[in-house]
Amino acid sequence: MEKMRLKLLYSDLKSDIDIIERELEQALNSSSYLINDASLHLLQAGGKRIRPIFVLLGAKFGDYDIQKMKDVAVPVELIHMASLVHDDVIDDSDMRRGRPTVKSQWNNRVAMYTGDFIFARALEYMTKFDDLRIHQILARTMVEICNGEVIQIEDKFRLEQGLKDYFRRIKRKTALLISSSCELGAVAAGVDEKTTRHLKRFGYFVGMSFQIIDDVLDIVATDKELGKPAGSDLLQGNITLPILLLKDDPMMQPYLAKVFAGTLLETERQQMLEYVRQSSAIQQANRMSDHYLKKALKEIEALPKHPIKKKLRDVALFMGKRKF
Amino acid sequence: MNATYIQNSIAQFKTEIFMDVRHRTLQKYTGDPVLDENHLFYLLVPFLNGEQWQQEQREAAITVGIVYAALAAHDHIKEQDATSKEQQLTVLAGDFYSGRYYEVLAMSGNIGLIRNLSQGIAKRCEHQIKVYEAETQSVAQWFGSISCIESHLIAQFFELYAFEHYMPIVEKSLLLLRLEREWSTYQLGQVSLMSQVLEGSIQQANGTYNHVIQEKIVQLKAELVQLIHQATFLQDDIKQALYAHVEVSVASTNG
Repeated sequence: MEKMRLKLLYSDLKSDIDIIERELEQALNSSSYLINDASLHLLQAGGKRIRPIFVLLGAKFGDYDIQKMKDVAVPVELIHMASLVHDDVIDDSDMRRGRPTVKSQWNNRVAMYTGDFIFARALEYMTKFDDLRIHQILARTMVEICNGEVIQIEDKFRLEQGLKDYFRRIKRKTALLISSSCELGAVAAGVDEKTTRHLKRFGYFVGMSFQIIDDVLDIVATDKELGKPAGSDLLQGNITLPILLLKDDPMMQPYLAKVFAGTLLETERQQMLEYVRQSSAIQQANRMSDHYLKKALKEIEALPKHPIKKKLRDVALFMGKRKF
Repeated sequence: MNATYIQNSIAQFKTEIFMDVRHRTLQKYTGDPVLDENHLFYLLVPFLNGEQWQQEQREAAITVGIVYAALAAHDHIKEQDATSKEQQLTVLAGDFYSGRYYEVLAMSGNIGLIRNLSQGIAKRCEHQIKVYEAETQSVAQWFGSISCIESHLIAQFFELYAFEHYMPIVEKSLLLLRLEREWSTYQLGQVSLMSQVLEGSIQQANGTYNHVIQEKIVQLKAELVQLIHQATFLQDDIKQALYAHVEVSVASTNG
């Protein structure tokens, strides 16, 4: 149902998204059959392709040409894909989107080389652009994403953290690449500075909202919907917003102690998830996501008159209210 | 130019690479970036030989060093279970170094090198992953893969700055040094994955590992002596340094 809604939402961009999909396949073509297998595996796992979509939407405010825009949209998605392949090594994840990860299908080394190959292909694609600003935006984003991931590892299993730590982390982990996607599309299409700034901020707020919803879904969605066990974030030591809001709850503490000790039984995982689902933490987290969503919508208002503004609004609302 | 000058140049170069990828947390858990001094030496050969080497070339060479460090970090990831904090941060160290090389080149506007290095990394990955592919290669193909893994990034840098004429020497030298390293660890019973697949292909061709590798080492040394001798573009002191380098049988790394 949700996937249908997403397809409908993207319907007038469909032909451009198809071009990007074909280009992604092309970009991942390798002389190594193992890299080809691993890449195909990743492509077949799909994904919402939200970053390329934001590149295209940002570019709509300028001189839009899909043949040029694909050269930004494809590398942005490739960087996201590569970072997921490496993240699965870090998190020792066996499943993603209901499919075995590259590291579980083959091994960590194969995942490292596949990820490095994809990163390299992304940068090679980017060199079709001479505009240094485009490279500088993407390069800074890549470095900041890494910094965010380093902080995430430092913060693992650490309950002595505040909301500020959480927001700092998700900003780098997710919001920056979405923000940069909007900005890159705009810069590549020659959009004026002021509009580019609003698009960048729009992407940032949508990204923050998106990640909070992602963290809520990790708790409230089913294992089947997630394609991995619900509560995986916490089981890996990542303290997400709903958990952070419950860290001092006496009912929650015994569960957290067991999670941190690695002794949580399957039945206890179910009980813990049920407890968090019934708690006010989910509502609070949803409110915080809404707060960012409202800010994103405000940025749209500041954009110049353009038919694509409605689309930006619809995509933002979908992402902030999505169920998968 | 003497050995001390070369050593100092490499040490200074290494320091500059470290400066560009400094990161407090990564340093704490994963230590300094791993850099093979042989790679750095061959990367610097045109400079040591007195080629035009301005700030642009120096900065470009530093980014090649950063890429080697990035890929070396990922070579340190265990095949199974990389869940220790040190391993997790080693994955990120490699990604961080990759981001930094791109950032340095994006800031200086060296898009040509971004292109060459990204193509070089992709090709290197394709060869590195071959050890995990079911389809085996011939012994000669494995030597080609090793050569690519060791020297292709330097080749991509040299191509951009018209130093290609150094490549035959660099390729053979780095292949030789890697084979010597593989051979000596093999003698100690620590057989790397590369040696395993190489041995498999050698056995398929009815050879023995020790014999084939030793023969190749001898052949490479002879070819190198001739190449260096005939290289009219090399100054005498750099020729001596290159001769001396291939006589050193075990490569030195800081990792």
